[in-house]
Amino acid sequence: MKVLRVSKLTIALFVLPCLLLYICLVFVPILVSLYSGLLDWNGIGESTFVGLENFTNLFFNDKVFWPAVKRTLMFAVFSMAEIPIALFIAILLNRFIRRPNFLVSSYFLPVILSVVIIGQLWMTIYNPASMGGMLNQILEALNLKSWTRSWLTDPAIAMYSIYFVALWQYLGYHTLIQFTGIQNIPADLYEAAKIDGAEGLKADWHITFPMNIPIFKISIVLAFIGSLQAFDMIMVMTGGGPANATDVIATHMYNMSFKSMKYGYGSSIAAFLVGVCLVATIIINYLFNRLERKYS
Amino acid sequence: MKSNLSTVSRSATVHTKPRFSIAKPLVYLLLGILFVTQLYPLIWLGIYSLKNNEEILSGSFFSLPAVPQWVNFQNAIEAGNYFRYLSNSVFVTTVTMACVLLLSSLVAFAISRFRWRYGQIVMLVFLVGMMIPMQATLLPLMIIFKNLSLLNTHASIILPYIAFQTPIAVFILSGFMKSIPNEIEESAIIDGAGIFRIFRSIIMPVSIPPMMTVCILTFINIWNEYILAATFISSERLKTLPFGVYSFVSQYSVNYGAIGAFLVLGALPVILIYFLLADKITKGMVAGAVKG
Repeated sequence: MKVLRVSKLTIALFVLPCLLLYICLVFVPILVSLYSGLLDWNGIGESTFVGLENFTNLFFNDKVFWPAVKRTLMFAVFSMAEIPIALFIAILLNRFIRRPNFLVSSYFLPVILSVVIIGQLWMTIYNPASMGGMLNQILEALNLKSWTRSWLTDPAIAMYSIYFVALWQYLGYHTLIQFTGIQNIPADLYEAAKIDGAEGLKADWHITFPMNIPIFKISIVLAFIGSLQAFDMIMVMTGGGPANATDVIATHMYNMSFKSMKYGYGSSIAAFLVGVCLVATIIINYLFNRLERKYS
Repeated sequence: MKSNLSTVSRSATVHTKPRFSIAKPLVYLLLGILFVTQLYPLIWLGIYSLKNNEEILSGSFFSLPAVPQWVNFQNAIEAGNYFRYLSNSVFVTTVTMACVLLLSSLVAFAISRFRWRYGQIVMLVFLVGMMIPMQATLLPLMIIFKNLSLLNTHASIILPYIAFQTPIAVFILSGFMKSIPNEIEESAIIDGAGIFRIFRSIIMPVSIPPMMTVCILTFINIWNEYILAATFISSERLKTLPFGVYSFVSQYSVNYGAIGAFLVLGALPVILIYFLLADKITKGMVAGAVKG
């Protein structure tokens, strides 16, 4: 039972500074954004109220929008596909390596670097061999000259090159999360399983997997929501080009708002993005609640 | 019987022992390859940054520079305003961290320890905010800041940084503060301590571990933040490090060695801190992954 009875003034002193700042800088902008999604406005001059016209244009007339949504979802699919791999690595680390922490923290290193650094580093790696790009140089050294590409300027593969960098950067994060989860599973469960004759992969299937479900949820939310919001890396590496081939929802929003100066239209994309994020979080939480109930 | 039990428990504590001996080399190989793929690009960047343009353009990807070109670093530091960006980043990150810690621990204290009706609602408000993507607020914030003539000041990035870091901070801190036993406050009240006294002399000192976590999360997120800074800041003298790195790279696009050097310099502060605090940082980042 909480014991502190305090006056309303005290509560206000403790809560309001943070809450007000937070509401003003997060909720108010979102509401402003929802409203300006209904305007035809370039940000400076007069604005006209156009109702849902921006949204109908977005859904039915925008040639960039749906491919961008598709890429965003692909991003999420690839990121989530990485989680079982990370779990596998974490199981191996836990079972075969005496002091796994060194490897775990090494794999994690790319996560803490700024996307600007990561993006520029990989742009350098993806450069043509004649500009010192590592990847193409390696391919040439392996006599695979026909495999060399201009990885970020060829519309057919530019997006995959970016997916790869994101997967590379975040592999260490998912491995770390799964690894921490496995370490928190009580060792006597494995002992009991061993007595029952379950070891190795069999024990993983019956113990590691169900015990780690809450951890999967963390990873999946991180991967899914992170991918929906995927933005910085693409802005740094291609800015959505070539010819919109790497546009995702967030970059499309940014380019419409800040490059084409269609503030109203950009706001409607922002509103769409917020909506998708909220719905996705609710669905993931619902699914995992059911899953956890089933396994507990 | 007793000895039997102890062997069981011993073999269980080494349950990491593999059953198949063929598997072991394969696992080492796999984990080794992964080690190389995760770290080699960074090492390659280090070598790259010490080459001259000719070596970069003609040389092979694993060759070492004939003479280390430290001049690349000199160029990056002098022409690239490195220390200006660095000190801006230090300033912005420190102010953000201090404000996040203070504001969120006040709220967390109120949510977890006060007897009042709306605590859960306030918590819910913060939790909803965790799901809101920062990019969606870029445009409206820009308009709001323009009207307040805050654009192109450090305040225009620090304020949103604080706002976007508080939800996870409140979440972590209030989770911890809930676990502090009530008896502590009861005895403090009997001793006549006021609410601020309890907060400052009891709750704050006890909550240092989760505050450390909050600090680490804030540091990693804010130190690396790029888009907001690039949108709201335009003066050269106000740019933070990631934005500075980006502008340097786009400006000196043909001086490959200097670009490499600037990227190394940009990554260096975080890497140094990671070497010192790897365990704390990984723990903090796991705590920070718990969103939604």
